[in-house]
Amino acid sequence: MLLLQNARIASENSPLLIEGDVLIVEGKIQAIGHNLATPKGARVIDARGRILMPAMFDAHVHFRAPGFENKETITTGSEAAINGGVTGVVMMPNTRPALDSATAIATVLENAKLRSRIPVYTSGCVTKNREGKELAEIEGMRELGVKMLTDDGDTTNDPAVLLRAMQYATEFGMFFASHCEVPELAGPRALNEGVMSYRLGIKGSPTCAEEIIIDRDIRLAHAAGAHVHIQHVSSKLGMETIRWWKSRGDVQVTAEVAPHHLLFTDEHIGDYDTNYKMNPPLRTQADCDALLEGLIEGVFDLIATDHAPHTPFEKAQDFMSAPNGITGLDTALVSLYHYFVEPKKFGWDVVVKRYSAEPRRLMGLPVAAIEVGQQAECLLFDTEVETTFTREFMKSKSQNTPFLDQTLKGRVDLVILGTEILLER
Amino acid sequence: MARKDLLDIASLRREEIEFLLDQSTSFKKLFTHSVKKIPALEGKSVLMLFYEASTRTHSSFEVAAKRLSAEVTNFDVAHSSITKGESVRETIETLQAMRTDYIVVRHAHPGLPGMIARQTTASVINAGDGAHEHPTQALLDAFTIKEKFPDPRGKKVLIIGDILHSRVARSTSTLLQKLGVEVAYLGPGSLVPKYVPASIRRFTDYEAAMAWAPDVVYLLRVQLERQDVQFFPSVREYHRVYGITTTRLAEIRDRGLYIMHPGPVNRGVELCDAVMDYERSLITNQVENGISIRMAVLDWLTPGGEFPRQESYVAPQRASATVGRP
Ligand SMILES: [Zn+2]
Repeated sequence: MLLLQNARIASENSPLLIEGDVLIVEGKIQAIGHNLATPKGARVIDARGRILMPAMFDAHVHFRAPGFENKETITTGSEAAINGGVTGVVMMPNTRPALDSATAIATVLENAKLRSRIPVYTSGCVTKNREGKELAEIEGMRELGVKMLTDDGDTTNDPAVLLRAMQYATEFGMFFASHCEVPELAGPRALNEGVMSYRLGIKGSPTCAEEIIIDRDIRLAHAAGAHVHIQHVSSKLGMETIRWWKSRGDVQVTAEVAPHHLLFTDEHIGDYDTNYKMNPPLRTQADCDALLEGLIEGVFDLIATDHAPHTPFEKAQDFMSAPNGITGLDTALVSLYHYFVEPKKFGWDVVVKRYSAEPRRLMGLPVAAIEVGQQAECLLFDTEVETTFTREFMKSKSQNTPFLDQTLKGRVDLVILGTEILLER
Repeated sequence: MARKDLLDIASLRREEIEFLLDQSTSFKKLFTHSVKKIPALEGKSVLMLFYEASTRTHSSFEVAAKRLSAEVTNFDVAHSSITKGESVRETIETLQAMRTDYIVVRHAHPGLPGMIARQTTASVINAGDGAHEHPTQALLDAFTIKEKFPDPRGKKVLIIGDILHSRVARSTSTLLQKLGVEVAYLGPGSLVPKYVPASIRRFTDYEAAMAWAPDVVYLLRVQLERQDVQFFPSVREYHRVYGITTTRLAEIRDRGLYIMHPGPVNRGVELCDAVMDYERSLITNQVENGISIRMAVLDWLTPGGEFPRQESYVAPQRASATVGRP
């Protein structure tokens, strides 16, 4: 039994916080109200001044297992999630071997049950070994609970293959997540085509490389009657493309945006800082502004980090040699607070809706609202305290993030999942 | 004014540029003497680290170092397949152990010389990193232009060719602009980046570029070996549209324009054969001036400083101390 007193409660429905006590009994929210009586044996936590909100859910993470356990494991990845206030994740299938069969999926899920304190879901490949040629054994994966199909890391390049996959898998109630990039246009290195690519002497990746596939894949979904989810959108025109398709209302399309695409531009790469090397690449301020607008407006259904760990050794190479990607689970919630909620660009409702409720809805899971009768899946956030993202603080096995050694406002203090307190600071 | 490394033109201050050009003048006078060697770098070691073959730049640096009495060593990378970043890091650790004083580095990856510079006490000179920078080329170009136009302010240089892959275009245009020279680009649409600085004029047509009345026409080498993707239909067509043809040479001669090229020339591509005998071609002057400029640079840089922290595989230096925005 747990009694949280005088918390300010956030929900997806209103930017306003409601003050009150919350009583959790046997992992369920039993009562919400003012001055609740303390039942015998209950632990009381004074949450005055702190925000109580549903725990986050990240629908796009790379846990690197199997195959790249030197970068991340299911254990370290899920501990990074908990550290950042996230109690559920969807893994991407670009592991080695790729998660393209029931056998591979079963192994990961079993592993997760043993080695993670939070539920870990996984997506499955669209095509065998993510090669874009032969369809993966889709139905076998569905039996194990896979809902999302994606060749993330790469686009399923042949539109005929993707269309067939959509026609086939939609029958099983599955949906497609699209990594949008024409490889022939994007080139090998993740740098936006712009002033910086000229200055740094690296052939840039134009935003049209992304926009063409966003449009293509929504058109394919339209043709197949499928649900397509557009991953990590980075450009203004990409956002506008999705907005236009959504406004037509005749295709099922959802989309996500990553915190780093809202926060950073290609200018941050500066003198070839590989912590800003990611795919899709960081674009310009105009793109950031448009993405923020799209998030507030709801063009983006959800925020997802694309948590992509790489070892310090790999990231310490020169810009051309270093791999793409940054970690995000440890830092996402605090950075969203620091850069957006605190300066009043948007309210807590946007965070809860986009980083907790909608990702769960996408995966067909119950929403972790703070309501009587619901399972307790929530966190306490202190807005008055700062977090310094030192190596020691972060639980991900890799610390390839621009936030390394940075101090931001806000701290995740307490994470509750059912009867367990997963984290307490 | 001492500096440890020369990595780019962008960060050079005007007085540093003036100083190097002046020094180059003094070194060049030395060439007329019977004894061309001076003991400025006596007892110092210069290591040549060329991951990309370049006879011209390589030998120019070597001659320059030897004329300053330095000991020159070649690190044999051309024959090994170690061109990936992670192997470079191991090489850097070896180099640091060797306590060499100067490292002249060329690599296909932009930013790599800077990475070496941050991890060694040696003075690092960027001898070309991908399409990023080639600072000594820019300096020798500026020096060559100043020999013809002692006050180059307001002069116009038209750079023609593959801007997209050219470190020469980037470095030389940056330096010339710092000296008050106007710069324009002309090249195939597929080889001129969409985003060039607004201060650089961009022409799409040779006639229009000529009407701008340049003083110097600077032709870039067409890197035929880089044509893994086809950027233009044929060499013949390139020559006709962007090359100095015999007809165009006649006009250039009438107008008294100078011609420059970083070499080596693809004859019949950038330039017709007749340009080789053109009296206002500065191509051999550029080669000659390369030596005195590189002497000036070697003489100017100061190796040393703290031995870098031997924390293996730390992330590269952050560009700014704090996360910017918003
Ligand atoms: Zn992706």
